[in-house]
Amino acid sequence: MDLVSGSMFAMMLVTAFLYYVVPPKAKPYTILAISIAFYASLGWQALLYIVFSTMTTYVAGILLEDKIKKRQMRAITLGIVIALNVLILVTIKNQIFGKDILVPMGISYYTFQVISYSVDIYRKKYTAQRNLAKYFLYTMYFPYLFIGPINRYDDIENTLYETNKKFSSRQAFYGLARILWGIFKKLVVANRIQIIMTTITQDTTTYQGAYALFAMLLYSAQLYCDFSGGIDIVIGFSRILQIHLKENFDVPYCSQNIQEFWRRWHISLSNWFRDYVYIPLGGSRAGKLRTNINVMIVFLLSGLWHGTGYVLWGFFHGVFLLLGKVVKTPWKVVNQILTFLIVSVLWSFFIWQDTWQACQMIGSIFTQFNYQALLQNIGNLGLSFANYVVLLLATIAVFVYDGHKHKMNERIKRTGTEMKLIGVISMIFVICIFGVYGIGFDASAFIYNKF
Amino acid sequence: MKVVKIIIIVIIATVAFYLLNQLLEPKYMTDLVEGSMISQYYEEAKNHEVIFVGDCEVYANISPMVLYEKQGITSYVRGSSQQMIWQSYYLLKETLQYEKPKVIVFNVNAMRYDKPVSEAYNRLTIDKMKWSKEKYDMIQASMLEEETFLSYVFPILRYHDRFDKLTQEDIDYLFQRKKNTYQGFLINKEVKPLEDMPNVKKLAKYQFADIDYDYLDKIQALCEENGIKLLLMKAPSVYPHWYDEYDAQIEAYAEKNQINFINFLDKVEEIGIDYSQDTYDRGLYLNLTGATKLSNYMATYLKQNYDLTDCRQNPEINAIYQEKLAQYAKDIM
Repeated sequence: MDLVSGSMFAMMLVTAFLYYVVPPKAKPYTILAISIAFYASLGWQALLYIVFSTMTTYVAGILLEDKIKKRQMRAITLGIVIALNVLILVTIKNQIFGKDILVPMGISYYTFQVISYSVDIYRKKYTAQRNLAKYFLYTMYFPYLFIGPINRYDDIENTLYETNKKFSSRQAFYGLARILWGIFKKLVVANRIQIIMTTITQDTTTYQGAYALFAMLLYSAQLYCDFSGGIDIVIGFSRILQIHLKENFDVPYCSQNIQEFWRRWHISLSNWFRDYVYIPLGGSRAGKLRTNINVMIVFLLSGLWHGTGYVLWGFFHGVFLLLGKVVKTPWKVVNQILTFLIVSVLWSFFIWQDTWQACQMIGSIFTQFNYQALLQNIGNLGLSFANYVVLLLATIAVFVYDGHKHKMNERIKRTGTEMKLIGVISMIFVICIFGVYGIGFDASAFIYNKF
Repeated sequence: MKVVKIIIIVIIATVAFYLLNQLLEPKYMTDLVEGSMISQYYEEAKNHEVIFVGDCEVYANISPMVLYEKQGITSYVRGSSQQMIWQSYYLLKETLQYEKPKVIVFNVNAMRYDKPVSEAYNRLTIDKMKWSKEKYDMIQASMLEEETFLSYVFPILRYHDRFDKLTQEDIDYLFQRKKNTYQGFLINKEVKPLEDMPNVKKLAKYQFADIDYDYLDKIQALCEENGIKLLLMKAPSVYPHWYDEYDAQIEAYAEKNQINFINFLDKVEEIGIDYSQDTYDRGLYLNLTGATKLSNYMATYLKQNYDLTDCRQNPEINAIYQEKLAQYAKDIM
């Protein structure tokens, strides 16, 4: 099942309906039952892995909280439980035992969640969840398994387990609008760009230089709309259930340096690496050199998490992050443009998915100046003129709204029901007409699903 | 007051959604006219004694106007491009909701296909059918893996990408469509002679699939239940090649079930079809002259073998048909 699909929307509708009609105490268990059924439908293997991760960390949580007192034993217990879960993640994700082994959906997300839970219990940040069913809900809450975000236990426990909820039309409207916004970003912008990306990446001999740069810039918009669009859907649906998930993006392309970029892009992953890798390594407390090494380790690991072909991408991000601390211009806009260009160029490792080819493409930007050819041939890359206009307007809309989300949401909140209804209907119309989906186009696959 | 406003908004949105669906779906008026044929049946008076169902081999080759002119037979061709046998079955079921013909003629070419060929062909047959249980069943039977039922309910989900391809035709035919067939017969006056006989490829399998037999059984049962005679035909299309093995299977089926079967490929000389003049597609389809010859033969055959009324004696029906014939005569000039 895909996040943007009729069956998924039907499942969301049924879940929301059941959630508000069952007795209050049954609410968390209702979502858990649906989540288990959903996960089981993906195959028993998928269920097995998530049950293993949940059970090991559930038991570890209780042990770490009050059963094991000795510091050393606590550390060993934590080490074992982390090692087991990381081992499964690495083994399965890299298909070490062959390609026949199914990679369970959301394995990275729930593994990161259970590790953060175990470490936080170890650090005595909060108490362990004793109710096994509730803990299962934390790891198996189905919407986030598609695309994240990586939720911290203490961030979501209140709203996830809260039973005293009554249907709120305000929250439902916000949730629905957020879902539609996510679908808009995915279908109207990301999928439209995919058409050009397919043309350009399929012929790496012809499409170099200016075409490569064009692809990198477009991919920046595509990946943002694709990934944040998926997150919008997850957050929006959760909001209908009055479960509050943390934001995963905060206008990342406005960043003035790479460090800021990572505070704004895939925030839940960046924070996870910060809290569970960077800080345990010593963070910035052990001198400049050690800090820089820690930064590089974090980025290399982040690259490795995406796949072995992304290590260089992580390395360059680390390098530019460190450079950004010392090299910057006095002009905010110039810093923003430079950061955007660096990030866009480094997406090459995602676009071509082959380290050598990505490097070649980056090199071609500086050796082939075929901008004239690009301008002449731009209409032959798969999109008509009208489609380019739609893409341009939709991209502007995405960045304007996401850049002023809070202000605009406040305004929307103040509008009447009728205006809200008109807004939702208009959004549905725009998606229906200008979305890229249906026959001949795989609209469902989100880029970040595979990570 | 608030509720009234909301109701008004919902009504306006529904109307707008309907209009958008109308605007974006293809009109099939000047290009791919085959897509508009299925719907034209609904505008006809339902008094046909013979109904033809099948793929392009029926709508290109059989002219009901000739059948009427020569023998007074009222008939209609419910043909469509690449019509699968299950589509013929459901179209037939739907037709029986409107009228009870005396004879059903099914073109057996579809027996060679055991699964839908393409989504585009599905659309040409299904899109313009009126909503009914038969349409629902037809969609379920025809959908390819990548298709969704919802896109048949809301055509905008399928044709939304036409927003940058809209033409004047989409405005002109937003609500009203013109007729481009005569009782389901599509006129083509072009001549593209058959020059060389196409190569005959050997097949790995000649046996018709179970699914085809199942639907043929269903068609036969439907006819029996309704007291309708079933006639099987194979149009004289030179390609795709109609194998002897295919023919033998249909012969055997017809004999077993006591159904008439005519393979017009065996009667080309008798009918007088000349592939240097009577085809517009190098032997795939007959053109107007070829279709007229075949229809003449068919008219006589039907009259001789079935108890059909000469509707030319019915002043009311005759008046309608004479009007159509006059227009037909103009169009074929």
